[in-house]
Amino acid sequence: MKILELINVHKDFKGLKVLKEVTLSIEEGECHAIIGPNGAGKSTLFNVITGKYKPSQGRIFFNGKDITGIAPHKISRRGLARSFQIINVFPQMTVFSNVRNAILSKKKIRFNPFLRLEKLHDIYEETMRIMKIFGLMEMKDIPASELSYGQQRALEIGISLATDPKLILLDEPTAGMTREQTREAVGLIKNVTKGKTLMMVEHDMDVVFHIADRITVLYYGEILASGTPDEIRKNERVRKAYLGKKGDA
Amino acid sequence: MIIVCLGFIALVPQILPVVHINMLIEIAFFSLFAVSYSMLFGYGGLLSFGHAAYFGIGAYTMALLLKHIAGIPLLLLLLMGGIGGGLGGLLAGFFCVRLKKAYFALLTLAFNQFFFAIALKWRSLTRGDDGLSLKRPDLYIPGLGTIGMGKIAHVYYLVVAVVLLCILVQWYLTKTPFGNSIRAVKENDERADFIGYNAFFTRLSLFTISAFFAGIAGSLFAFFQGFVSTGVIDAHMSMQVIFMTFIGGVGSFFGPILGSAVYLYFTDWVSRVTERWEFVLGVLFILLVLFARTGLIGLISMRRLKGLVGLGGKGKAV
Repeated sequence: MKILELINVHKDFKGLKVLKEVTLSIEEGECHAIIGPNGAGKSTLFNVITGKYKPSQGRIFFNGKDITGIAPHKISRRGLARSFQIINVFPQMTVFSNVRNAILSKKKIRFNPFLRLEKLHDIYEETMRIMKIFGLMEMKDIPASELSYGQQRALEIGISLATDPKLILLDEPTAGMTREQTREAVGLIKNVTKGKTLMMVEHDMDVVFHIADRITVLYYGEILASGTPDEIRKNERVRKAYLGKKGDA
Repeated sequence: MIIVCLGFIALVPQILPVVHINMLIEIAFFSLFAVSYSMLFGYGGLLSFGHAAYFGIGAYTMALLLKHIAGIPLLLLLLMGGIGGGLGGLLAGFFCVRLKKAYFALLTLAFNQFFFAIALKWRSLTRGDDGLSLKRPDLYIPGLGTIGMGKIAHVYYLVVAVVLLCILVQWYLTKTPFGNSIRAVKENDERADFIGYNAFFTRLSLFTISAFFAGIAGSLFAFFQGFVSTGVIDAHMSMQVIFMTFIGGVGSFFGPILGSAVYLYFTDWVSRVTERWEFVLGVLFILLVLFARTGLIGLISMRRLKGLVGLGGKGKAV
């Protein structure tokens, strides 16, 4: 079943065509990687899907329903989560509160003015469970801004996953990491997203060919190719445009 | 600690002279005003330069209802003052909370001037500079009968009770998921949006709630003073509430209460010593912003009374 479907999506920024004729679908349960050189429009694609930008043309369907141009919080509530390329957490809140924000949202009591936060034991348990999965238990009570880079990355993904989404979009989850950290992060991602549908932008080809079931290559706003890792590896156009240049990967 | 405080508050009319009771009543409703402002600015991170608009709307609502419609119970009048302020806040907030930082601040100031202009120019309704005087209504409680508001002690008890209730409600709000959503949106509105929080609606609700309590404070002002003129809604009044909040401490919930007490006693004292009391106040404010941004509460915590008072200082994680 198609969980996400983009039909002929365009995005112009004042005449600059960043996305052109993007038609793409994500199957339920797969891990789909988007690759492409810098400026290919990968982040814009994520921003269009998650509602930060409205597409100039085309339609986007999530879970069979049209979500073109609706607000980010509404898309999130339907079960589409994202993480960010630049770390984007709640810096002055504790790690615990960061994760709890997502849990409160998932349980649909984010706006409740009557309940006392301290008395919500199920929320507490759930938050602890997520923190345990992401190895953040020891950092529970310190502000997110004081975590190490790798831990902030883990928290970043943790917040996105804590909302228990049907589809999760990861924007360069290993950006700025060392080899060692990347290996750990990949292990973590594989672990926590088991059985979930995943769409990710990634620069690190090792990571991509290691975890993706399907790969889509974006090249100057257009889809160059889409297929299994093997198909992509063999694709002539992709080799010419992108993979051939060793330094880029 | 709390019992001692409440006991003291209850005993005040028995032990202090009338001048001080008047002063304490003023401190009470200005505390409510300052706490409502602090919810918006200190807690929600929205720096408004026009909070007097909602205080003023509350005061005018009280005065106009009393003048034109007879027989509304006192508590309902106070509530109507709050609702008036809240509606004003909802209207202004709908436009203001879309903006950030300086633009937000400027638009709140513009709305303040807008409401001020109405109060000044719509003379047939508000009588402009001349103001409206009103007769302080009595409190009728079913089963208990009428409590006369001619006695200052009764006024004191009513105002303090209403203020404490309102502050308690606001304090409780900070402990709920709603309070948490305000913190989340203040910290990182983009991220909050992407996990399902509606940042715009959260800010608008906060703005409206804050304006509601400012409106109640304004209606208490009108009730106590028996007189409402454009002074309740002008830019100077907006500055006053900013002063009180800063003096007490921006980051703490109870700081503004201390701030309004210090501000009112201090201006009272300085204005008896010199005519140029506003100059002294200005210098004080400059020093405060330069050297003690966390206000008096911050100074207290710096002197290691933090544990004793338990109100915390700046940079405390939530």
